[in-house]
Amino acid sequence: MMEILSVQHLSKIYGEGKNQVHALKNVTFSLDQGEFAAVIGESGSGKSTLLNCIGALDEPTSGNIYMDKKDLFTMKEEQRTIFRRRNIGFVFQSFQLVQELTVEQNIMFPILLDYRKPDQSSVEEILEVLGLKDRRHHLPNQLSGGQQQRVAIGRALITRPKLILADEPTGNLDSKNSQEVIDLLFKASRHYQQTILMITHNSNLTTSVDRVLRVSDGILTDLGGKENEKLS
Amino acid sequence: MKSYLELVPISAKVHRRQNRMSVFCIVLAVFLVTVIFGMADMFIRSQIMQARMEDGSWHIALRYINDHEAKLISARPEVTSSSWYGILNYRGDKGYTLSNKNVAILGSEESWITEMQIDAIDEGQYPQKDDEALLTKNAKAALGLKIGDQISINTPDGKSLSFTISGFLNDFSKTMKEDSYAVCLTTHEYRSIYPGVTNGEPADYNSIFYVQFSSRCNIQNAINDIKSQFGLTDEQISGNTKLLGLLGQSRNSFMIQIYSSAFVLFMLVLLAGILMITSSLNSNISQRIEFFGIMRCIGATPKQVMTFVRKEALGWCKFAIPYGIAAGIVLIWTLCDVLRYLSPKYFIGMPYFGVSLPSIMAGICVGILTVLLAARSPAKRAAKVSPLAAVTGNSNALPTVRKAANTTLFKVDSSLGFQHAISSKKNFILMVASFSLSIILFLSFSVTIDFMHHSLTPLKPWTPDLSIISPEKTCSISGSLLEQLQKDPAVKRAYGRMFAYNLPATVNGEVKKVDLISYEENQFKWAKDYLLEGSVEEAQSGNNTGLTVFKQQNASNTGDIITLHTENHSADITIVGTLSSSPFNNGPDVGTIICSENTFRELTGQVDYTIIDLKLTKNATENDVDRIHKYVGKEFIFSDGRLDNSSVKGSYYSFGLFIYGFMTLISFITIFNIINSIAMSVSARMKQYGTFRAIGLSNRQLIKMILAETLAYAITGSICGGTIGLFLNKLLYEKLVSFHWGEQWNVPFPEIGIIITIVILSVILAVRGPARRIRDMSIVDTISAQ
Repeated sequence: MMEILSVQHLSKIYGEGKNQVHALKNVTFSLDQGEFAAVIGESGSGKSTLLNCIGALDEPTSGNIYMDKKDLFTMKEEQRTIFRRRNIGFVFQSFQLVQELTVEQNIMFPILLDYRKPDQSSVEEILEVLGLKDRRHHLPNQLSGGQQQRVAIGRALITRPKLILADEPTGNLDSKNSQEVIDLLFKASRHYQQTILMITHNSNLTTSVDRVLRVSDGILTDLGGKENEKLS
Repeated sequence: MKSYLELVPISAKVHRRQNRMSVFCIVLAVFLVTVIFGMADMFIRSQIMQARMEDGSWHIALRYINDHEAKLISARPEVTSSSWYGILNYRGDKGYTLSNKNVAILGSEESWITEMQIDAIDEGQYPQKDDEALLTKNAKAALGLKIGDQISINTPDGKSLSFTISGFLNDFSKTMKEDSYAVCLTTHEYRSIYPGVTNGEPADYNSIFYVQFSSRCNIQNAINDIKSQFGLTDEQISGNTKLLGLLGQSRNSFMIQIYSSAFVLFMLVLLAGILMITSSLNSNISQRIEFFGIMRCIGATPKQVMTFVRKEALGWCKFAIPYGIAAGIVLIWTLCDVLRYLSPKYFIGMPYFGVSLPSIMAGICVGILTVLLAARSPAKRAAKVSPLAAVTGNSNALPTVRKAANTTLFKVDSSLGFQHAISSKKNFILMVASFSLSIILFLSFSVTIDFMHHSLTPLKPWTPDLSIISPEKTCSISGSLLEQLQKDPAVKRAYGRMFAYNLPATVNGEVKKVDLISYEENQFKWAKDYLLEGSVEEAQSGNNTGLTVFKQQNASNTGDIITLHTENHSADITIVGTLSSSPFNNGPDVGTIICSENTFRELTGQVDYTIIDLKLTKNATENDVDRIHKYVGKEFIFSDGRLDNSSVKGSYYSFGLFIYGFMTLISFITIFNIINSIAMSVSARMKQYGTFRAIGLSNRQLIKMILAETLAYAITGSICGGTIGLFLNKLLYEKLVSFHWGEQWNVPFPEIGIIITIVILSVILAVRGPARRIRDMSIVDTISAQ
C-alpha cells in the first residue's frame, strides 16, 4: 500500500523555562492510503496537538511531517494553506460549519475557496451518501447535531483529500448519531480510499478502525489492530 | 469574597486585554468630547476677549434719553457700569486740528475709559479736571509730548482750545490709518466746547449712553424692563451683538441661528461619543457571552448579570474618564499656547493652564451617561444567555443567520464578507450609523469654514503695513522717496501706484469714465490670482496695454481698444486681460484700467506716485516706524494699518485654529471609529476565521473577506452619511451663511471628496491591522481565541 502520511520524530514543546510542557515527545508513525486509524488517550495527553501538527494548523518544535512525500513545513504559508485545502479534510467536534452558507454551499466550500466550479455530480453523490438531499438548502442552525456533523464530513470529502483528520467527531453526538458518523468515515476510507486519522475518547468507536494509536504524556504507542480486541 | 460583585475586579484582571479596547474607547470618547467642548469654551473666551478689546465691554447703547433717565438706569442693581459717550469731528470733516492733523474729540465719563474699554490708557489717567485731556499715543511720538504738557486744538471758527495732557490713550486703528489724533475730555467739558448747542439734550451733543450689565443677570430681561420703564423704542436701543452673542445673551436673529447650529453640532458630537462606547461594549460582551452563560448556570439571576455588566462598565470609567479628561485638558493648553504665540496682542490674556469646567463636566457626563446607556443593551443581552447554551458550548456570540450568502454573484470570500456585514440587522445598523456619523459630523462642521470665510476677511498678501498717500490723491510722491524706502532695513517691500481718476475714455464708441492705475512687478504678480481671461504679462511688459476689472455694467472687455483723453492728448490702450476684482473701489459707472508704470507715464505724462505701500520686516519696531514717519515728512498722509491688520490676523488665527482643529479632530474620530469598529468586528469572528483558515482559507482570501465586510459598511455608511450630511450641510449653511450673506448653497464637492478619501484610507488601515494580527497568530490560537 502507498504511504500517505509519515510523521518523523515529532516533538512539540509549549512554554519556556520552568513552564515548559512537552506535549509531544519524539512521535514517529506512518499511515497508508485507505487506512482508518484512531488516536486514543486521556485529556491533555497530546492527541489534539498531534492532530493540529499533522493538519499543519500548528507548527511542531522539531521533527517532520510528510504528506504524500511532501514536507508540510518547508512550504510557505500561502502554499501550505492551498495544499491543506486540497489534500486534508477536517472534521471538528463542534462541527464548525459556516453559519452563513446552506448545507450544499458548506459542502462545496473548499472547492469555492479554490475558485473552482464544483462538480455537481460529486456534490449530489455526497448529499446522497450523507442522506442530506432534502436538506441541501437548509442553514446549519436548522439542522440537528448529527446532521451538522454529516455536513462537516461532506465538506471534508468533497475535495477527495488524501487524509481526513477528525477531532472527536462524535463528541457532541448521541450514540446513534455517533455510530452513523463512524460508519460514514469508514465508508469514506473504504469507498474513496481515503486515509482517516480520528481522535476519540470512546473506546467502543474503535471497533471499526484498522489501527489504534495511544498517546500518553506526549508519547505515542502503536497498539496495532482494534483496541477492543487488544483490551479483551 | 462577600458579594458576587467582587468578581468584577477579578474578571477585569483576567480579561485585561479585551477590556483594554473598551477602556480605550471610553478614554477616546471622553477625550474628544472634552477637547471639543474645551475648544469651544476657549474659542468663546478668546472671541469675548477680542470683542471686548475691539468694540468695548459694553452691552447696550441708548439714544435720545436724557440725563435724568441715564441716572436712573445707571442706578439699577444689574448695571455694573455706564457712561455717556460723544464724539466730535469723527470723520475729520469738522475742521478741528492739532498741529495741522485732524483730531477727533470725544467726551466720556471715567468708567467708559477704565471699565468699558480694555487697556485703553497707555500712560497717565483720565482727566480729573475739565481742562485736562487724554491724547492718543501717536501724537506723543509725533509731537514730542509728555504728561503735563499743554496742547492747543484749533477749532473751525479760528479759536484755540487748550488742555493739559493727563495721559495717553492707546492708538485706535482708525486714527492710525487716517494719520489723525484723538483727545478724550470729561463729558462736562466736551459738552461745553460742542459747537452751536447750549443746555441741549445729550443727543444734541452727538452723545450715546452706554451700559454694561452684570454677567450674572439676564440681560434680555433687563433690556425689556428698561424699555418698558422708560418707554423706549427698538431704534433707541442697540446691543453689542457680538459680545452679547458670545455671552449667550443675544436675541439677535442671526445669533439665534448660530445657537441652533451649535446645538445641532453638539448633539452630533454627543451621538458620536455614545456610538463609539456602545459598539465597544457590545463587542466586549459578545466575546464573553459564554462566561455570562456560566454565571447563569451557577445561579446568577438575569438581574445580577445586568448589575455585573453595569458595575464592570462603571469600573472602566474610573480609569477612562480621568485619563480622557486629562488628555483633553493638555491638548487645550497646547492650543491656547499656540493662540498666544500666533496673536499675542489679543490672546495674551488666555490662561496658561486654563481649566474649562463645561468641557470637564461634558466629559464626565458623556463618559458616565453613555457608559450606563451603552451598557444597557449588552447587559440585557448577557442576562438573556441561556445557561444551557453556555454549558453545551452553543452560546455562539454571533447572530443567528436567517438567510444564506449568495455565492453566485461574488467569490465565496467576498460573499461571506458581505454576509457577515448584513447578517445581523442591528449590528449592521450600528456600524452603518457609526460610519455615517463621521461623515455627517465632517459635512456639518465643514459649514463653519464657509462661515469663517464669510465672517472674516483674511489678510491679503498686498495688505500694506504702512501707506504714504498724497493728500490730494495726485501723483505727487516722488520716485526718489520710494527708492529711499526700498533701501530701508525695516522695510521688506515698498512699491508705488499712480492714479489718474475719472479720465474720459471712448469705449466702443461710447464716452465713459475710467480710473487708470499703475502696477509694478509685485502687484502684477498678485493680480494673476484674479485673472479671468487674457494675460497679465502682456499688460506688464507691453506698450499701451492694460487690464480691465470685471463689472456687471462693464463696457470694456479683453481685446477692446480704449481711447483715453488726458489733459494734453488722447491715446489708445489695448485691453489684454480681465481681472475678477481689484482692491480699489470706485463708482458703478467708472471703469478701472490697470497698466504698467511705463504705459501710465506715457499716457498721462505723470511720473510720481499717488500712493506708496510698505510692508515691514518681522523685526520692525515702533522706532523704525517713527523714523520712517519722520523722513516721509508731514506733507503726506502717513497711514498706519498695522493695528487693523493685527486685529484681522487675530480673528483669523483664532477662528482658523479652532475650526480647522475641529475638522482635524473629526477626521481622527472617523479614522479611529472605522478602525475600532472593524477591529472589534474581526475580534468577534476570530474563532470563525480560525475555522475558515483550518478548512483552507488563505490569508489573502481572509483579507478579501474582511475588506468586503468593511466595504459593505463603508459604502452604505457613505451613502447614508452623505445624504444626511448634505441635508445638514445645507440646513446649517442656510442658517449660518445664506441667512446673513445671502449666498446660495452649493453641493460641497471638495468636502465630500476629502471625507470619502478619509473613509477609504481608514478602511485600508482598518483591514490591515486585524489581517496582520490574524496572519501572525497560529490557526490553533485563532480557533481558541477569546
